[in-house]
Formats: sequence, structure tokens, C-alpha cells
Amino acid sequence: MSYQEKRTIVNIATGLLVLAIYFIDTLGRYRSGAIALDDLESWAVAMLIFIGIYIAISIIIQIIFHILLAISLAAQKKIQDKTTCEEEIEKSIDLEFTDDEMVKLIELKSMRVGFSFAWIGFIVALVSLALNYPPAVMLNILIVSLFGGSVFSDITQLYYYRKGVR
Amino acid sequence: MAKEIVITNNIRKLRFFANEMTQQELAEKAGASRQTIIAIEAGKYSPSLEMAFRIAEAFGVKIDEVFGYEIKEES
Repeated sequence: MSYQEKRTIVNIATGLLVLAIYFIDTLGRYRSGAIALDDLESWAVAMLIFIGIYIAISIIIQIIFHILLAISLAAQKKIQDKTTCEEEIEKSIDLEFTDDEMVKLIELKSMRVGFSFAWIGFIVALVSLALNYPPAVMLNILIVSLFGGSVFSDITQLYYYRKGVR
Repeated sequence: MAKEIVITNNIRKLRFFANEMTQQELAEKAGASRQTIIAIEAGKYSPSLEMAFRIAEAFGVKIDEVFGYEIKEES
């Protein structure tokens, strides 16, 4: 499995993990009565906090992932050829982390899928308002569609890495 | 009936004749990721003209010795 595939899987796992934490926390608070459907201020604060948590968790997980991957690549290279110098190891790690034209093309194509998902979510959110659902429902549909768009974009990337792109 | 152009390549054969050059070595020489070389070799990705020239350069051959094409009728 290539670096890009591993990175994508880590991104998907991070997105799903944060979304799960968000729903477990907010649903728990909603059921206990700590947050009401018409209390938009509380929902906005909860969402802002979770966006912050998502950014922080993403950065931490990416740093850990890159450190572990670099260590495993260096060890692999050393096992394959014990005479390998550090310069060669660094070069092979840099090459593994290279984002070339195919990677960029895949990112562009998958981003389109992610945006489409987010747009559909936005329209569904508007429909929910038009059907007289509480604004908190619309906000939650919006956040799910944004996170979902990001996850779908990553899943599409994984698909293209496996199936190829023309 | 529409015609589809399928890009073919001889990368596996050229690697064999280049002293069994690994995909990693080719990636290093062509300035691409190993993932991309694997995809090109398997026919899952059609490289840009620039990348195609860089791969040919890595083998020290002309581009038409690395890449070719087939025309397929689309049904």
C-alpha cells in the first residue's frame, strides 16, 4: 500500500472518528436536556468547538502518522540493504512522500465528488428549513454534509488509487 | 461508432533489459512516485507528455519505444 493510500485511510478514520465523537456528545446533551433544538447559540458553540477539535486531532494524527511512516520506511530500507547511508534513506523517504501529477489529478477529481456531496447536503438542509424543521436540524445536516463531503472525497481518492485514473 | 485510444507501454520489458531496474529506481530517475510508476505500468494511468519523456529519458530510449497506442472501437 502506497503512502497516499495510507494517508487517505488515516484521513477517513480521523473524519469519521470526530463525527462520531460530535454525535455521541451532542446527542447525549440533547437527550439530557442540556441543549434544546431551538437553542441555536449552544449548537453553534458545540459545532465551533468540534471544528477546532477536528483541526487539532487532524494535525496531531498527521504528525504521528508521518513520523511512524518515516521510521518504518527507514527500517525497511536498512533491512533490505544494510550498507544504505542516511542520505539514501532520506531520499527514498522524500520520494515516498512526493505528490506528483497523478496524485494531484486524483485529488482534483475526488475534490469534485466531495464538493458535490457538500452541495447536496446544503440543498437538503434548505429543504429541511422549508419543511419547517428546527434550524438546529439544518445546522446538523450542514455539518454532516461538510464532514461527509470530506470523507467521500477521501473514499473517492482511495477508489482512484486502486482502480487507476485516466 | 466512437473510437477510444488506449495507451500501451513497454515499461516492464524495458525494466527487465535495464538490469531488472526496480519500480522504485525508475520512480527516482523519472521524478515520480512509485505509486504512479506502478499505475502507468499496469495501464491504469496515462501519464502527461512530460512524464512520458522523463520515463523514456530514464531508460535512455526514445518515447515511442516506451509508449504506444491502440485504437479500440467503443460499442
